[in-house]
Amino acid sequence: MTDLSIHAPDPSQRLWRRLRSEYFASPLGSILTLVCVAILGLLIWWVLDWTLFRATFEADARAAECRANGGACWAVIANRWRLIMFGIYPYDEQWRSALACVIVIATVVLSCLPRMWGIIRLAAIWLFAALAFYILMKGGALGLSRVSEEQWGGLALTLFLFVSTVVIGMPLAVMLALMRRSEMPVIARVTGLFIDAIRSLPLLAILFTFAVVLPFVLPAMLTGEKLYRVIVGLAIFFAAYQAEIIRGGLQGTASGQEEAAKALGIPYRYRISRIVLPQAFRLALPATINQIVITFMETSLVVVVGFVELLAAGNAAYNTGEWKFAYVEVYVFISAIYFTFVFGLSRYGAYLERRMNVGRR
Amino acid sequence: MSNRQAPAIEITGLNKFYGSFHALRDINLTVSRGEKVVVCGPSGSGKSTMIRCINQLEEHDAGTIRVLGTALDDSVGSIDEIRREVGMVFQHFNLFPHMTVMENCTLAPMLVRKTPRAEAEATAMRFLEKVRIPDQAEKFPGQLSGGQQQRVAIARALCMKPEILLFDEPTSALDPEMIAEVLDVMSSLATEGMTMICVTHEMGFARKVADRVIFMDRGEIVEEAAPDAFFSNPRNERTRRFLSQVLGH
Repeated sequence: MTDLSIHAPDPSQRLWRRLRSEYFASPLGSILTLVCVAILGLLIWWVLDWTLFRATFEADARAAECRANGGACWAVIANRWRLIMFGIYPYDEQWRSALACVIVIATVVLSCLPRMWGIIRLAAIWLFAALAFYILMKGGALGLSRVSEEQWGGLALTLFLFVSTVVIGMPLAVMLALMRRSEMPVIARVTGLFIDAIRSLPLLAILFTFAVVLPFVLPAMLTGEKLYRVIVGLAIFFAAYQAEIIRGGLQGTASGQEEAAKALGIPYRYRISRIVLPQAFRLALPATINQIVITFMETSLVVVVGFVELLAAGNAAYNTGEWKFAYVEVYVFISAIYFTFVFGLSRYGAYLERRMNVGRR
Repeated sequence: MSNRQAPAIEITGLNKFYGSFHALRDINLTVSRGEKVVVCGPSGSGKSTMIRCINQLEEHDAGTIRVLGTALDDSVGSIDEIRREVGMVFQHFNLFPHMTVMENCTLAPMLVRKTPRAEAEATAMRFLEKVRIPDQAEKFPGQLSGGQQQRVAIARALCMKPEILLFDEPTSALDPEMIAEVLDVMSSLATEGMTMICVTHEMGFARKVADRVIFMDRGEIVEEAAPDAFFSNPRNERTRRFLSQVLGH
């Protein structure tokens, strides 16, 4: 018999063939490929040249030296990074703000680990984290001096706003989504109206309402600190959108799932928490990551009600006399911080999707 | 459950509407303990609706349903109590796709019966052996064939140790070569004395396993008889027409 066995193509050969068929298939194609490579190379060179090769790193350098070198003036970051990270938090106490950031980030990372997923575990670590964060930032206990919320700022404030918005908003969103599909029409309708009402308001209007208008409307004992009112506003706004995302996931989950759970005698709270929500969240994951990323970006809007979060702290960092020329460097630095967090979130989302697809068609 | 002498299921005067559509008309049915009842009839005749009323996946509009002596009233307690004793196997299996076969089988006993994990897993293994797929325990449902999935679904229902099993067209969604393996498992359950109500078009299974065959059409029970009489000498014209359609080729 003739040997008709087919070999898998050699990988290096396959790469070469692909390169040829996709990038150098015709003379015009080859030219376009070369032009694109050249443009890309130029861009990369230009960025490296500005950020590294001709940049000024010495902390005591000033405008004159930076201009002479022609590249980025990282001296502004070396001089101003504490303002960007901690805002107007008292200089000598900024280690507290730094430690608080570390605690928040550690808690976020911890709750991203699948082995921590349980209502009790998550609630426990978040309760601990919130308490530690609050005592560290606010002080007035354990021998720490008191720092009022108006002085919190920079990255610490951004992280605090973002994390509390999601941590408060997510359970709220789940509740709203479940109420919207309630079998009792009154509850379903009212919830639907509430969600639609919140969604038809711009975030700025909600922030103003909670920061500025509420104190006039509510009795003093109900208003609380401005920062916490703003967080409540952000969380409600987040929950309205996230509730619809979760509802989409719920609708995508087969109705037979809930029936099977009912037929086994599993009570409502477990049907929801063990059968329906895990499947709904899996379907809603891409949109959820999207919403969380948007929320991270939107925290910068609190500047309009007088908070110095990351972006506002950056503005302040270059806006004083001698550093006015170095705004590009400051923005690049801030972008890098945003990028680190958001890119990390996106990669985590991708990891979750891969993990959840195990054993699924 | 409380009443040992009561029949497994007693349905009297059951009526059900979907809007103005009269889905079930004056259903009366008593199933004694250990009895195997096969329900057949054309699609849309109310067979599924009727057995779904027994564990209240559908609410009925009039009539009474008593399961093992407990009346189904509006109280949540009675519904939960009955669902614990009545297992159900669905046409589309409805296994939980995000859990392994083992987790599918142990979830309800652990949550509802508060069985310790080790015991629940031992029970699950025993029933997975009974349905002849103990080696698939750590797989996810999506990795199994349809026939295997349906057998897992049967094992999952058995793990709650129900008194009654309801089958809602358990082989209708299966490829032909997988129907036999599911029917075999069901037949062996029947010989062990489980009370079973089975909606199915598998007339061979009905002839072999059923104590009684019920024919439904347009929301009514048209005819009920022992399988011999049912298949050899159907009295009602509608039954004869139905049987000639399902057996005639």
